[in-house]
Amino acid sequence: MSNIGIIIGREYRERVYKKSFILTTLLMPVLMLAIAIVPTLLIMFAHGDAKRIEVVDMSGKIADRLESNEFVEFTSGGNDLQQALKKSLEDDNFGVLYVGENIIADPNDVKLYTNSSSSMTMEESITSQISDIIEAERLKEYNINNLKEIMDNVRADVHLSTFRNDAEEGVDKSVSSAATGIVGIILGFMLYMVLVIYGSIVMQSIIEEKNSRILEVMVSTVRPFDMMMGKILGVALVALTQMLIWGVILILISAVIMPSLLPADIMSGVASIQAGATDVAAVAQMSDIDPEALTALSSLLDAGYIAGIFATFVIFMTGGFLLYAAMYAAVGASVDEIQDASQLQTPIMLPLLLAEIVLIMLLNDPNSKLAFWFSIIPFTSPIIMPARVPSGIPLWEVILSAVLLFATFAAMVWVAAKIYRIGIFMHGKKPSFKELWRWLRY
Amino acid sequence: MAEIIRAEHVTKRFTGHTALDDVTVSIPEGAVYGLLGPNGAGKTTLIRVINRITVPDSGKILFNGRPMEQQDVYRIGYMPEERGLYRKMKVGEQALFLARLKGLSRHEALTRLKKWFVKFGIEDWWNKKVEDLSKGMAQKIQFIVTVLHEPKLLIFDEPFSGFDPINANLLKEEILRLRDNGATVIFSTHNMASVEEICDHITLINKSHNILSGRVDEIRRSHGGNIFTARFRGDADALAQRLAPSCEIMESENDLTGFSTMKLHVADNADVRSVIAAINEETELRSFNEIIPSMNDIFIRAVNGTL
Repeated sequence: MSNIGIIIGREYRERVYKKSFILTTLLMPVLMLAIAIVPTLLIMFAHGDAKRIEVVDMSGKIADRLESNEFVEFTSGGNDLQQALKKSLEDDNFGVLYVGENIIADPNDVKLYTNSSSSMTMEESITSQISDIIEAERLKEYNINNLKEIMDNVRADVHLSTFRNDAEEGVDKSVSSAATGIVGIILGFMLYMVLVIYGSIVMQSIIEEKNSRILEVMVSTVRPFDMMMGKILGVALVALTQMLIWGVILILISAVIMPSLLPADIMSGVASIQAGATDVAAVAQMSDIDPEALTALSSLLDAGYIAGIFATFVIFMTGGFLLYAAMYAAVGASVDEIQDASQLQTPIMLPLLLAEIVLIMLLNDPNSKLAFWFSIIPFTSPIIMPARVPSGIPLWEVILSAVLLFATFAAMVWVAAKIYRIGIFMHGKKPSFKELWRWLRY
Repeated sequence: MAEIIRAEHVTKRFTGHTALDDVTVSIPEGAVYGLLGPNGAGKTTLIRVINRITVPDSGKILFNGRPMEQQDVYRIGYMPEERGLYRKMKVGEQALFLARLKGLSRHEALTRLKKWFVKFGIEDWWNKKVEDLSKGMAQKIQFIVTVLHEPKLLIFDEPFSGFDPINANLLKEEILRLRDNGATVIFSTHNMASVEEICDHITLINKSHNILSGRVDEIRRSHGGNIFTARFRGDADALAQRLAPSCEIMESENDLTGFSTMKLHVADNADVRSVIAAINEETELRSFNEIIPSMNDIFIRAVNGTL
């Protein structure tokens, strides 16, 4: 086996067989799932704790029509505000709602006295209920027949179904811009994390090797270039391994586990949209679900769609990682301690942070000029391109971007190898950018 | 004898000081070659220049008579002064890794490593982590991985530092055995006793200059300085008077058995044979020996400039 292969093997085994790697790889999806599920569960189980509010209704038109829900429970509090307030304190209730006598004419005559702090959702739920009642009361005064039917007729609920108009494949199946936007952002952030975390691993382990003087032992055996590339590729394989495991788990969840957990009628809706049904609203009505949510679900549960995104993700993660790892390697080789690295890391962090900012702007328009250029320029493309892919972009853009990325990587390795070769045997003073430039031309 | 390495007029400056100043060294094939010198003299820099870790400002290195190239480095086994091993790796795994990098197959490396581990009595270290080893233990591992692939040229930088006398001896024997098997060994050291024992050639570097080079026995002989001891029975005072024109009596003592021992410095223009004849006439001469200075004396005198 060539030396570079032996080094890759060592770098890979040293990391993958570590307990911490196995734990994070397996626990991360569990953690992510928990983050997604726990708040929902909390809300589901929290409604036993409804707040009790006594209503002092001077108008006599509101109290009976207030509906208790999982957050609030309304009870009648009589007609005496002072007495109700006193009783509320004694019973340790949430508070008292006072409704004025002329509430229909003067909608501002409503007061909430609370024994503890109130919340926005609670206040909104009360005001929206009261305004509905007042509106209904006011309409009633116009004495219109069949008012209820007329109102039902008038009410409109607009759902915008979006389709991809692809020149080659014609009108494609329905896509959810909400889903693609969110998926894109999540991918972008994940890539950022991978680049920074695994990049720093490369840097740190080079600094460690420098300090343990193992490099001087290896110099009579291995070319510095092989050492550096072996490390970069070895760590890249570790990252890929982790991503593949996560990818498999993700695809399993979207293709097998989720469908079996969701109710059958929703799944049949998802299936018909995935099959190309164009009347999303009708399908949604059949499945008794919000059309927007159904489209999003159908996108996320489409294993092919997920796999496509995942493939782009892996390609750009690899290219991006190699590019950034080469830069991190150069930084690691030129310093003795991690503390000295921060200044030299600036040129690495800058494009990454810029990409993060553009990433958030993607949510508004994934196909803007800005988004296009940032997904083509190699230093930001590893983050922006995978984030744009879910919303559907021409293939040539993806290919161009990938080719540019890997070409830049090759150039960067050349630069990094020169710095590395000299840097690993330099101890003591931290080099300035000017010195690094000299090393390059050495 | 053929040269394996020749450094010609090598100069290396670092900011602030000159580490090597026009140093020329010729290392014959099959020798055990000692690089001596006080701390900071430039020994390690010379070794690093030979290893192509450091590029000299001027001068060149010849390997087997032609300018040295990068590939030649891979035919050297090098043990640096500051030992380096992956601290988190297990001893056996690490030794295998380094051995395979040196071109041994996994199987071959395992066989050879086992032999060495048995020889050094360290079989049970195989699964220990390097960070749990003492300095001396790590040294042994380092030595093994340096020589495992049996390179033609071995370079040890301060190989004996950190070893107890027993292990230092073990190391000496191994170095001599490597030479007998045809390898050339270069090592730098302060340990003068080991130089006399195992070096065939030395170069003494002081303040960036090569101040003394040659075969150890020739150097010692040529710096003998005409000092002898004579052991005899007879009148020491009378003898001293008779020798006065040609010798300086450095020491003289009588022991209880009636014998005397005298240390003489024979003047450069005097004839040693006539001195012996004089002693023989004057007393009953039992022994007459030349005192050859130790490398330690030569080292100190050379460094102090009184050679």
